[in-house]
Amino acid sequence: MKSTKVLGAALLMSTMLAVGSAQAKSLVYCSEGSPENFTPAMNTTGTSLDAARPVYNKLVQFTPGSTAVEPGLAESYEVSDGGKTITFHLRKGIKVHSGVNGFTPTRDLNADDVIFSFERQWKPEHPYAKVSGGAYDYFNDMGMPDLLEAVTKGGDDLTVVMKLSKPNAPILANLAMDFATIQSAEYADYLMKKGTPEQFDQIPVGTGSFQFVDYQKDAVIRFKAFDGWAGKPKVDDLIYAITPDATARYAKLKANECQVMGYPNPADLADMAKNPDVEVLQQAGLNIGYMAMNVQKAPFDNVEVRKAIAMAIDRDAILKEVYQGAGQKAKNPIPPTMWSYDESTVDIPYDPAKAKEMLAAAGVTSLDSDIWWMPVQRPYNPNAKRMAEMVQADLAKVGINTTLVSYEWGEYRKRMQAGEHQMGFLGWTGDNGDPDNFLAVLLGCDKDGKPNANNIPKWCNAKFQEDIIKASEITDQAERTALYQDAQKVVAAEVPWLNIAHSTVFEPIRKGVTGYKVSPLGAHEFQNVDVAE
Amino acid sequence: MFRFFLKRAALTLPTFFALMFVTFTMIRLVPGDPIEVRRGERGISPERLAELRHDMGLDQPIWKQFLDYVWALLHGDFGTSIISKSPIAEEFLTLFPATLELTFCAMLFAVAVGVPAGVMAAAKRGSFYDQTLMGAALTGYSMPIFWWGLILILFMSNTLHLTPVSGRIDLIKYYFQPVTGFMLIDSIISGQKGAFLDAVRHLILPTIVLGTVPLAVIARMTRSSMLEVLEEDYVRTARAKGLSAFRVIGLHALRNALIPVVTVIGLQVGTLLAGAVLTETIFSWPGIGKWLVESIGRRDYPALQGGIMLIASVVILVNLIIDLLYGLINPRIRHGH
Repeated sequence: MKSTKVLGAALLMSTMLAVGSAQAKSLVYCSEGSPENFTPAMNTTGTSLDAARPVYNKLVQFTPGSTAVEPGLAESYEVSDGGKTITFHLRKGIKVHSGVNGFTPTRDLNADDVIFSFERQWKPEHPYAKVSGGAYDYFNDMGMPDLLEAVTKGGDDLTVVMKLSKPNAPILANLAMDFATIQSAEYADYLMKKGTPEQFDQIPVGTGSFQFVDYQKDAVIRFKAFDGWAGKPKVDDLIYAITPDATARYAKLKANECQVMGYPNPADLADMAKNPDVEVLQQAGLNIGYMAMNVQKAPFDNVEVRKAIAMAIDRDAILKEVYQGAGQKAKNPIPPTMWSYDESTVDIPYDPAKAKEMLAAAGVTSLDSDIWWMPVQRPYNPNAKRMAEMVQADLAKVGINTTLVSYEWGEYRKRMQAGEHQMGFLGWTGDNGDPDNFLAVLLGCDKDGKPNANNIPKWCNAKFQEDIIKASEITDQAERTALYQDAQKVVAAEVPWLNIAHSTVFEPIRKGVTGYKVSPLGAHEFQNVDVAE
Repeated sequence: MFRFFLKRAALTLPTFFALMFVTFTMIRLVPGDPIEVRRGERGISPERLAELRHDMGLDQPIWKQFLDYVWALLHGDFGTSIISKSPIAEEFLTLFPATLELTFCAMLFAVAVGVPAGVMAAAKRGSFYDQTLMGAALTGYSMPIFWWGLILILFMSNTLHLTPVSGRIDLIKYYFQPVTGFMLIDSIISGQKGAFLDAVRHLILPTIVLGTVPLAVIARMTRSSMLEVLEEDYVRTARAKGLSAFRVIGLHALRNALIPVVTVIGLQVGTLLAGAVLTETIFSWPGIGKWLVESIGRRDYPALQGGIMLIASVVILVNLIIDLLYGLINPRIRHGH
């Protein structure tokens, strides 16, 4: 009798387990590649950042599907000392993932973890600074070493005080970026004592909605739901099926082998729209594709010549042929989804006849120039070579003879930054949704009036510079908006480059997937996603 | 036999060294710096670039870099990936079983179908069967792998729902840690019901795609070799002796016809490994082909050098084994006649 009971109980339990596993909800995301590692501070590629994002959180974060900044690990923060001090108040009881790589946390996340995460990137003498190669590109690119004066503990374990060398309005948007991910100092200590510190970047432990389970290079990354400070996610298992070919990703989506896929092939979009099982979400991308005119070289130093060239180019044709409808014509250097976008800007019309007149009035009767085109496909420019050919044909109609030039991608960018070009294509994808990340990075100059490296037109304007510097130092968004709109007016009047397009971001998902939001920043996030059983 | 082996093995050494030099220099002739290529439009300051180049030893003169590389290689050190910071040998060993499994299945498929098809075509020379088969072989040989793979996926997976699209196993139904790296074996070890069959289903399309070109080559080679052998006196004698067609072809002719076929099979190993690059990309197969392609894009010098050297070692080893097999099939070769 006893053995029958035991057997019955075992059967019941196994049935429950079976039912439990049958009911486990899995979401498979067809990702495009393998991550370089799982520490966002060391990565710059979307592929690597996407892979680590489910595991981690930041002090502040972007609201899913937008560039608005909302509280993350810090439930609140105050800005004081004229914008030079930010005090973050961490949430109470933030649980850290347990059982990953043999690590069991003994405490909740606190200020020590925040300090650890910044100091690793900031201080070369930090014990983890050189681990896994120690390159913290974003931290340096965002100017954090110069900006940070101190990151210390406040009155208690849950208060972090960040002191800055100068007021900096974009800092909160910067802190919502992946490089500012907060990692566990206790896990770092555990691995250091174990003698395997490099595992810190390979086997991630964080506070995010999903706990890391396993990674098999070029095949799969597995996570399981974690009931942490943000609540338990709606799916139990999150699986990244690494599928590098875009057509294969779509084939998998059609076969329901994955429910969300990234980076569709533009040629497949029409078929996706017709597929009853697939929904194509889209959002205006936070990017700009442009054609720079090097104002340090004659006759591009003449604003009338630049305007005439802009007027001679048929951007509608480019939108149709190169972007195949997956983009919108740009009239400002920042995309329309970004706050402070200046709606009042009057776009330059396509008018080759007038362009010819303007060139003649400027004394340009014959002009030989180059047009540089990027050898790679980028989100903001899907086919720079074709674009260059179209521009070449348009300019020929107004008497400008052009030669097409290209180099290997790294070389191309380096030579353009050095100003070797006359005209050329490049673009930018925003990091944090702050206008400063476009206007200052792409058109800013230093205090001596020397263009920044990423200022490809090599254009410096005192009024523009004054606006963007002032806007970066004040925190009132209305005031900042006015200044950035004023700066956009200067750009519209000066035409250092021809704004070409902002491309659209597409995310195909299976019908039945709910809660998925397309990020204008290109992130793929799953904490609020559910999937029909 | 041992002396024969030593002689053949010694011949591979210069090949290995030449390859080491060519790989090292060719990679550096490809434009693009491993650090700058990663930075995209973001760029990098000259100071930071110099610092990173120094850390990676890229600021050393090329000859010094080469000597360091050879020295490390002689000590069994294939270097560390610039991207993942993992040892190359470790990455290779993680990924290689997937490639080996796929290559082995593709070769098995090519031989199992190609040799009988070639023999049959030769036996029925000039018939409709012969012409159809050789026409199909020529089509198979000319087939662009990428296109062929996608067509099969669209037809077999998306339309007929007979096979999975890509990957090595159903990721939702089955989860187990790799033990050997060979999915067919690991799925059995895991003890999970249905895992092995699922692994087999995942292998079908990549095997067909990768095996198509070698199959065509082997079938054509077998046919022409058989035709030659069938004209030989000893085959005519065997026939005159009244042996059955099966015994004449299967025993007398095939064994001799196989010598050039074995050569081709050996050479096809290299072709298969090269073809694996595309097949692995289409079918999201986590093998070395895909890894090498990504390494080229990222200018990951150590991964490329190490990966190519390791693959070359495998190809050289296979060809050495093939040479030894000749010796077994035809004693005249073994004895240097």
